[in-house]
Amino acid sequence: MKNCIACGMPMKKESDFAMGDPQKDYCVYCARPDGSMQSFEEKKQGLINFTIKTQGLEKSVAEKAVANMMSKLPAWQEYFKK
Amino acid sequence: MKTKRQVQKEATRLHILETAYQIYAEEGFSATTNQIAKAASVSHGTIFVHFPTVENLIVCLLDDFNAEINGQLHGLSEKNEQLETFLEAHINVLIRYEAFYKRLISEVNSLPQEAKFVFINMQSIVSFHFNQVIERCKNEKTVKEIPMHIIFNSWLGLVHYYLTNSYLFTEGSVLTEYKEELICNFIKLIEK
Repeated sequence: MKNCIACGMPMKKESDFAMGDPQKDYCVYCARPDGSMQSFEEKKQGLINFTIKTQGLEKSVAEKAVANMMSKLPAWQEYFKK
Repeated sequence: MKTKRQVQKEATRLHILETAYQIYAEEGFSATTNQIAKAASVSHGTIFVHFPTVENLIVCLLDDFNAEINGQLHGLSEKNEQLETFLEAHINVLIRYEAFYKRLISEVNSLPQEAKFVFINMQSIVSFHFNQVIERCKNEKTVKEIPMHIIFNSWLGLVHYYLTNSYLFTEGSVLTEYKEELICNFIKLIEK
């Protein structure tokens, strides 16, 4: 089983993969409408908005939690190099 | 292919994590690395070969826990299942890890900052699936127009209250005993 390189979601079924393509390393939620993977900024903003919407967190807390999560995902390693 | 040494190293790391999980579930997060080493039958120094700091050990443990929860909840919200089915699945996952989760929610405020962020991300996994179910219910106009974060936090608040005060309700597994009551009445609160 693969995990999405951009958000960590497990990808088990074809419908979990971007464009329903099991060859892809990212999931349907991390793909743009044309099938390409969202950029770092797009993904980050999307996750921050989602965290605020679903958990009601204060913006700066949501930003830090999202940064913590993204720093552990293969797709975004270059953005967190010290 | 991994060398025998690498396989052994990974096995030891996993064994330490599994033991830490047990010890923290039983004793809380103030348990010492000495206790974990003793229970795991490894030297104290071995712990720090794999985890440079206690904070790193806790964060790695919570990361693994997140992955476990993620794997178990995944797919539930995409099968057009009912709100009740999702809430039941959430509680069933928590029952599986009840002692550890209870410690975690009781002590999260005193954990290192990074562990707190991992905890938020753990709830994000749940809220991701929960949100899909609620969005569908809202489209079908079967739940009230309440903001998603209030619905989610109310559910978590209810579950966490019973867990952290379980002594008020039972000597056994509070989630097992009160699962049906919590689910049924939570749905009554938010349904139209």
